[in-house]
Amino acid sequence: MIELIELVKKFGDFTAVNGISLTVEKGEFFAVLGPNAAGKTTSIKMLTGLIKPTSGSARIAGFDVQTQPLEARRRLAYVPDFPFLYDKLTPAEFFRFTGQLFQMDNARIKANAESLSGRFNLEPYLGKAIEGLSHGTRQRVAIVSALLHDPEVFILDEPMVGLDPHHARVLKDVLKEKSTGGMTIFISTHQLSVAEEMADRIGIIHHGKLIAVGTRDELRQQSGGEGALEQTFLTLTAVEANLIAERPQPKA
Amino acid sequence: MNPPGAFGLLVRINALQTWRRFSMAWQHSKLWVGTMLLAAVGYTALSFWLFYRGLKFIETFPGLGTLLTERLLFLLFAILFVLLLLSSLIISYTNLFKNRETTFLFSLPIPRIVIFRWKFIESTLLASWAFLLLIAPLLAAYGLTRHVPWHFYAVTVALVGLFIVLPSVLGAWAAIALARLMDRRSFQIGILLLALAALAGLAFYFKPEPFSDESLETRVLSVLDRMLVRTRFAQYPLLPSYWMSSAVLNWTEKALVSSAFFAAVLLSNVLLFGFLSLVYSGNIFYDAASAVNSRGGLLSGWKRKARAGQPNQNLHDASFLERSVARIPRILPDQRALIVKDLRIFWRDTTQWGQTFVLFGLLGAYIINLRQFSTQLSNPFWINLVAFLNLGACSLNLATLTTRFVFPQFSLEGKRVWVVGLAPLGLVRAVKTKFYLAFGLSLCLTLGLICLSCHMLNMELSRMFFFGCAITAMTFTLNGLATGLGALYPNFREENPSKIVSGFGGTFCLILSFLYILGSIVLLALGSPWGARGLRSPEMIMLGVGGFVLFSIAVGLWPLVAGLKRVARFEQI
Repeated sequence: MIELIELVKKFGDFTAVNGISLTVEKGEFFAVLGPNAAGKTTSIKMLTGLIKPTSGSARIAGFDVQTQPLEARRRLAYVPDFPFLYDKLTPAEFFRFTGQLFQMDNARIKANAESLSGRFNLEPYLGKAIEGLSHGTRQRVAIVSALLHDPEVFILDEPMVGLDPHHARVLKDVLKEKSTGGMTIFISTHQLSVAEEMADRIGIIHHGKLIAVGTRDELRQQSGGEGALEQTFLTLTAVEANLIAERPQPKA
Repeated sequence: MNPPGAFGLLVRINALQTWRRFSMAWQHSKLWVGTMLLAAVGYTALSFWLFYRGLKFIETFPGLGTLLTERLLFLLFAILFVLLLLSSLIISYTNLFKNRETTFLFSLPIPRIVIFRWKFIESTLLASWAFLLLIAPLLAAYGLTRHVPWHFYAVTVALVGLFIVLPSVLGAWAAIALARLMDRRSFQIGILLLALAALAGLAFYFKPEPFSDESLETRVLSVLDRMLVRTRFAQYPLLPSYWMSSAVLNWTEKALVSSAFFAAVLLSNVLLFGFLSLVYSGNIFYDAASAVNSRGGLLSGWKRKARAGQPNQNLHDASFLERSVARIPRILPDQRALIVKDLRIFWRDTTQWGQTFVLFGLLGAYIINLRQFSTQLSNPFWINLVAFLNLGACSLNLATLTTRFVFPQFSLEGKRVWVVGLAPLGLVRAVKTKFYLAFGLSLCLTLGLICLSCHMLNMELSRMFFFGCAITAMTFTLNGLATGLGALYPNFREENPSKIVSGFGGTFCLILSFLYILGSIVLLALGSPWGARGLRSPEMIMLGVGGFVLFSIAVGLWPLVAGLKRVARFEQI
């Protein structure tokens, strides 16, 4: 459902993403972890078609995001870490707008918006201007609008930021339900507990490379340690960092 | 297959946003909306009156009136074409590549070309509304002086609508090319070099020709002929402004076939370039957007290669700027840090230094050329008038910059309150430091230009001192007004300074600045010891200069003190 094939992104001489290959199956909940500036957001931007890869390709539901962008985006929903919303619109108007862009009929937009707004407790805010909403509420509006058209693939970049514990729980429940129902979830997060609790498989990106991928137990085995995902993550990224430090550095 | 109505949806949703913006502004501050409307109507009426009087005056030249009016129209459209092109380039770059809506739309199932179409139309509207406001009173005045029938106005509106498309297309393409090839630094240096080359070229081309008094009195036609030769470039047949001007002029002369011909030339070009732009630019636009989001352009890679292997000096060595600011005596380290930060932001924001450069560069070029007229300016009345006009022009330039860049400073710093506001420096000292920095920097420009103006007008030292003191007081007042009102009317929600300025406080600041300049020039002219009929009485001087000082205190110092008190209260909350 999601395929990254030898994906590379270079910014000048700096390689932000270095040959990532990965397949995420239909209905799978995949979490990607990594330190800051590891290349997670850049990978997501290539996956959603916001930037072109230097080489390699990305596919959504079998459609190449560069050569068949419209087909890919029709099956995709993406919520970035700081989602854009039209400030002067109300959430209800914004839902209608995004629904119509996905060619949904008004009855379906209404039904889905009502159901999702109920789940995310957005009813009191549906008629208020978005500019007056708190960061967390805006985040919930962005998530509902993304889910409105029942995407086959849902990509989220740090979705828990700004959400209170109650709504973070609601989001986790909804994502799990959707994943069980066949939606592919690809989530980038720094919250290891989210990945540990929710993900079927976890990938760790470090210095632009996918250094480990597997279930929680498989990662634990790879790290050769015991305990929580935090320990596994720290061990794997530290091992990789040491490997890089041991490599011969170019002479100045 | 394109999703049906994606473009229509974008237009509808943005029109709704704009309508909400206006209606909310009306609900929140009727005073602000009323002030804006009054200012727009006042400006239109005043410019119409000035254009009308000017054109009437030109018509009185026997045998030359029509010729001069026509040449002025050709020149006006040629210059407006260049201005529209520059405006479109800058606005298109921001709107296509630095706009969060564009990034959002790229993640939706909307064809790239549809996103480009919408952004292109939005940029065209943003780039040309001021042009329309500028040109409407002129064309109305022109029509009235030439006693044209009603349909002239309808045809002119249609022609202007066509005319603005061409610079918009070229501006958008130039923005795409620049975004693809250049990063911010290369863009800044490129624009700076281009502006310097343009100024040098203009200064060379329009170099004033010295005429003797005798030739001005006896060989008027020869002088006019040389002036017309210099401005003939505006009638180059391949310029869109030439087609536009010719269509308008021919319609006025009732040469409808000729007018239709030039209108058809304009239309065919609009259709060709519009078609190329609106049908084939989608993928090129996406490539450029991808390059911008990939942090740099093609040229940025070369710099990295040049720096490769060198140790990172960023954290260890003080930059040239830091070392320079450190040499200024009696500035504490925390204030120094704030000054260095503000200067860096100024240099990295192309808009700030670009506008400063253009406004004061043009004024400087004009003042330097005053030397060509100094032999003709022997009458004390004209010398005095030109000196006061220069004082007014310099202050008006400064008022534009203080409103645009100094006014939003407190709001922007309030947004970053966790850095400056929570530092031991304190907000009051931070605002004071910003005020002194803005005052110091702008005084270098304004005082320099006014001294240059006095020098070019061969004024004696005492008069230079008078004008120097006047511009120093006005620079202090205009900066004080912008800083004070910025603190009294803060907007912590907006991150975009231009949006902060467009609120009530910014509009109020601009209007108050203009009124202050008008009042000050009148008071200073009354209080100037050098009147048209010789030296003025001490009572008159006291009245004029005293009034100017009191006016400056009321307009500049009072808002500044009130603003600082407000900041102090804000800090205590």
